[in-house]
Amino acid sequence: MDPVRTEVMKNRFAAIAEEASNVAYRTAYTTFVKQTQDYQVALANREGEFFAYPVRQGVTSSVCQNLRPMVDEIGIENLAPGDIIISNDPFSGDALCTHTMDIHMIRPVFRDGSIIAFGWAFIHASDIGGAVPGSISPTSKEVFQEGVRIRPNLLYRKGELNRQLWNFFADNSRIPDLIWGDLQAMLSGLSLLDRRAQELCERYGTAGFLEGVADVIALSELKARQAIARLKAGEYVFNDYLETHDGKGHIYIQARLRITGETLEVDCTGSDPQVPFSLNFVTGERTHPFLCMPIINYVLTTEPTIPMTGGIIRPMRTKAPKGTLLNAEFPAAMGNRWVAVMRLYDAILGCLNQAVPGGLAAAGAGQAGIIAVAAFDEATGRQHVSVVEPFIGGTGGRCNGDGVDGIDTPVGFLKSAPIEAVELETPFVIRRFMIERDSFGPGRHRGGGAVRIEMENKGLGATVTVRGLDRFRFQPWGAMGGGAGHSGRTVLNPGTPEEREIGKIDVLELKEGDLLRMITPAGGGFGDPFEREPRQVLEDVLAGLISRDSARADYGVVIAGDEVDEAATARTRAARRNDRLGPAFSLGPVRSALEETWPPTASATLADTVMRAPLGLRPYIIETLRQRLGRSGQKITVAAVQSAAEALFRERRLV
Amino acid sequence: MLRIGVDIGGTFTDFALWDGDERGYVAVEAFKVPSTPPDFARGVMEGLEQLLARGRISAEEPALIVHGTTVSTNAVIERSGPPIALLTTAGFKDILGLARLRLDKPVDLFNRRPPPLIPRQLVFEIDERMLRDGRVDRPLDPAQAVAAARQARAAGAVAIAICFLHAYRNPAHEKAAGEAIRAALPELDLVLSHEVWAQQSEYERASAALLNAYARTTMAGYIARLQRFLDERLPKARLFITKSNGGVMATAEAVRMPIHTLLSGPAAGVTAARALGQMLGERHLLTMDMGGTSTDISMIRDGEIMVSHDGKVGDFPIMMPVTAIEAIGAGGGSIAWLDGPVLKVGPRSAGAVPGPACYARGGTQPTVSDAYLLCGYLDESMPLAGSLRLHRDRAEAALAPIASALRRDAVGAAESVVAVATANMLANALPFMARLGVEPGELTLMIFGGAGAIHGPLLADEIGIGRVVVPRASSVFCGFGCLVSDLLYDLVRTVHGMALEAGLIARIYDELRREGERWLAEQTGAEFAIEPSLEYFADVRYRGQSFDVATRIDAAAAAAGDMKAIAAAFHAEHRRLYGHAEPHAAIEILTLRARIRGRLAQPAATPVAPGPARAIEPRRRRRARFDGAWHETAIYARGDLPIGWRGAGPAIVEEETATVVIPPAFSAEIGRFGDLILERRR
Repeated sequence: MDPVRTEVMKNRFAAIAEEASNVAYRTAYTTFVKQTQDYQVALANREGEFFAYPVRQGVTSSVCQNLRPMVDEIGIENLAPGDIIISNDPFSGDALCTHTMDIHMIRPVFRDGSIIAFGWAFIHASDIGGAVPGSISPTSKEVFQEGVRIRPNLLYRKGELNRQLWNFFADNSRIPDLIWGDLQAMLSGLSLLDRRAQELCERYGTAGFLEGVADVIALSELKARQAIARLKAGEYVFNDYLETHDGKGHIYIQARLRITGETLEVDCTGSDPQVPFSLNFVTGERTHPFLCMPIINYVLTTEPTIPMTGGIIRPMRTKAPKGTLLNAEFPAAMGNRWVAVMRLYDAILGCLNQAVPGGLAAAGAGQAGIIAVAAFDEATGRQHVSVVEPFIGGTGGRCNGDGVDGIDTPVGFLKSAPIEAVELETPFVIRRFMIERDSFGPGRHRGGGAVRIEMENKGLGATVTVRGLDRFRFQPWGAMGGGAGHSGRTVLNPGTPEEREIGKIDVLELKEGDLLRMITPAGGGFGDPFEREPRQVLEDVLAGLISRDSARADYGVVIAGDEVDEAATARTRAARRNDRLGPAFSLGPVRSALEETWPPTASATLADTVMRAPLGLRPYIIETLRQRLGRSGQKITVAAVQSAAEALFRERRLV
Repeated sequence: MLRIGVDIGGTFTDFALWDGDERGYVAVEAFKVPSTPPDFARGVMEGLEQLLARGRISAEEPALIVHGTTVSTNAVIERSGPPIALLTTAGFKDILGLARLRLDKPVDLFNRRPPPLIPRQLVFEIDERMLRDGRVDRPLDPAQAVAAARQARAAGAVAIAICFLHAYRNPAHEKAAGEAIRAALPELDLVLSHEVWAQQSEYERASAALLNAYARTTMAGYIARLQRFLDERLPKARLFITKSNGGVMATAEAVRMPIHTLLSGPAAGVTAARALGQMLGERHLLTMDMGGTSTDISMIRDGEIMVSHDGKVGDFPIMMPVTAIEAIGAGGGSIAWLDGPVLKVGPRSAGAVPGPACYARGGTQPTVSDAYLLCGYLDESMPLAGSLRLHRDRAEAALAPIASALRRDAVGAAESVVAVATANMLANALPFMARLGVEPGELTLMIFGGAGAIHGPLLADEIGIGRVVVPRASSVFCGFGCLVSDLLYDLVRTVHGMALEAGLIARIYDELRREGERWLAEQTGAEFAIEPSLEYFADVRYRGQSFDVATRIDAAAAAAGDMKAIAAAFHAEHRRLYGHAEPHAAIEILTLRARIRGRLAQPAATPVAPGPARAIEPRRRRRARFDGAWHETAIYARGDLPIGWRGAGPAIVEEETATVVIPPAFSAEIGRFGDLILERRR
């Protein structure tokens, strides 16, 4: 590895990636690209690993994706200069595309007749047809409700547009012209990348360029290995739960992290099968970034100078059996997948806490809520849909400080809109948008606070939809002795005779004057709250973030007037010290109660066993078995799960 | 009238002086005095005393002093201001803490939002509410505001900022609360958000109100001190303060609205670059101001300074228009280090203390300046700024560990450090240009500041810029910027959600114009009247989008409220920026803005005819390193080079406070105003 050329090339690659991403961004059309920056443009080597990847705009979490399998669907030997591959098919290309709304494009970069790199771009298309505008509904059962699907194909052949292909696509979107505009913007980013790569080859020689690419990726790998080597070798298991769409059932998610020296493996075997609504995602046969996101973030956090390349994921292996929620098979729906990605994130974070000496962080709020409202413009009578706000909740407490209020790490890129703008775009008056008192998971470093929003409908009628809600029952767990963060809540017309708890919202009609109060989950705490500096507890009380009762009960800190009562605090803390030596993780009462009956080993066995049944039947079988086994109220053993499953399979002649 | 520009930097305070000499720019004088932190006013007064002592100015003579100061900026960055309270609408106590939710580096597991400027207990919720159209939903009880202010004062607050929802549309509640507090508690300083910047976005507006209150104490004290000095020593002098938008304002205004000074530091240099660019006929400029720890770059396109609406001071947003500047963490003091197997430069810097190893002031870590010395760009025998002797042996010793790791000699290591530093700058400069939609080939690089003239040409070479200008007196260029700044004021009216028609638009633009003219008159007083010039803008977007485009509106269209013309201007600007437009799509106007400019007398561009061509002998020759080899390099003294001189790289031009490196690929000449102009040979 050339010590100077590697650093110079790393900077060069970063510069051309940012430049190309900028060009694409500036010329794009749709709000999705412009506002949420759900797009990207980057450059990968022949093996499909990224080496020039932007970090200042666009989606940053795809840096460890690999595009070679999608190229192989066409065949690298079949590509010519001027070709552009297009696809939005999550079921081909080994999970480069993870739901149909993402349209991917790949452009081979030729030099002297051979391919030296691949340019890649994707956009989250604002509509690709399907059941609902925007193509995403939490209740979609199959991919067919989620728009048109194109397996890898050449959109351009030697520079010439494949018009039939595009027409077919255009005829199936509600906004084909805007999507076309976005694609053209991405293509201008791709052609700039090609030009810049050629210029680098001219300057440094093609061989020098390729060596630079190899070195920069190798440097990322080396640093990732260093970061992994600092983890404790061993095998760690952790699990978590998603709530089903109706809010009653649950989906079991499990991760097993094996660390050996400088490499590691994440194995998600034991997680529940895919579900007939849009929480699924695909991860393919290879190491997939969705299956190791917290580990990638851990590497980026502890090796801040690491080049952003695909080399980061080289020392990692991942595995999720086909047909599970985490590696769904055709025809699974995936529009609402991000909350599932976040829950797996939590499960892996649980493993990582055991592998990092001293622990790392508690669970964050764990939802990717987006509040939208459809209302009639009273001047024109036309209905229009606006996003109100992202609705997230705080991060978990961390080994080195409190959690962040109102946002969670895996959705940390989301930005709220000014309330003043929201009120102009919607019929709502926002009565409250603030941190929820006493919501924090207590800890030496407390969790990030929940957000409370109160929306009063001033219009005649309004339809609210909120996708990505979760953790109404299963609280964000605390780590290293920290407490769980509180769960989410939604109440219609609080404080009136019509007050009612409404739980997870799919679609909710609001009448004029209705007030909807929603509270996000809050991050779990990190470390024993009885070890929190009394001064910090006092600050939170004075700031109005926690009550005096919570200070005393959760932190053992007695506050008299505006001061800490040192003596009373010492007494309270000493008296309860022994009670606090509980489990490293606090899971909250709902999950603890569930696991009394359903220990994780039983849930994992159930998931594994059900995988033997045919795909379409699995959701029914798992529900039936859960009911049958749960009737006794006794702790369920692995053997009981196996025999109940055998019985059901025999009954239904499934084996 | 005598015009004096004074710009404070970390190390030196720069003075530029123009006495009305009709040779204009060529006749501008410049000098430096050491800065006197933390009491910066002392350096300013010392410089003025020097001018008095030398008889360059006298107490009887009127003078116009334009001063750039960042005393308030430092207070914000160091969070060293006084306790302040915020009054806001009930339900929004976390307006500061939640900000806009987003984390700036979400992949970092330890990333967090910076803490607000004031603690949560100093945010008071007031039970009042305006609706989006400015109608009152819940009336204000002024007594409640007064009670909150009393509580704030009891908690130690010396100032109150007020930001109520929708005050940009109807400020009645902010005004009523303000009046009640002023009457009851006159000792409290008071800032109302709609008076600072009446634009929609409650978090940014609340921040602006707070920042203004925060900066005010520092600024008021600073200006009072300077004013007392002037009253005594230069009673006929008028003092103006530079603004973040590249203009200036009167001192009373600077005390009222010090927020406008917070990003003024680097803006003055860009204003200078624009003026010089106009004289030289350079339409598109990349400016580069390289200091010890960082390098500021900015851009001028079509003779216009690029404006940003999302500036940041410290951790806080500035939404009013400011000169767009990108700070890069690479300077002459940036430290080179080994990150595992690779060489890195910065972002840590040796700063001024202890400084680069070659300064022999206690620094032992290798810096970019040490590399310059070993590459022959700096000379051991030529003290920096006339007094600071450089030590080659120290530089070599500092670079030795890197040299041995790279298996190269000290010079090879030094070259590597320069190459990596250049690549760092490039990695930031290219995306900055891309954001503004400019290709390097179209640009001229204009360099000022201490180290810039060494590294700028190297960067130009690497980045593909073919032309470089090093202004005469480049090291006091920000001081020159003070001489060419105009009175400049930005106005805004949010119209999002209003039913707009021609009459209303015309009326609003007319109000903005009159408000601007009033401002201008306040700045100058009756002493000298100034002819205003106005520019009009609208922030427009396609309906349903959330991305708006600042669109310039011509005066006739603004006066008539011509919506067709506004739409046409928007479509054209959209096409220019993004390559496409939808002329038939519905549009939405979010804000109407105006910028008023009052031009102050300033040095003109009067070229000097070159004297008879004559060969200039270099003072000496020494070896300098370019492209991996030693080149015998001619060393010129800048003072020896007359207008019209031509030379070729490799060469080095030395002046007291700056060294210009001319790489082998460039030719050089002294332009008609005395600036050094490098051009890549084709």
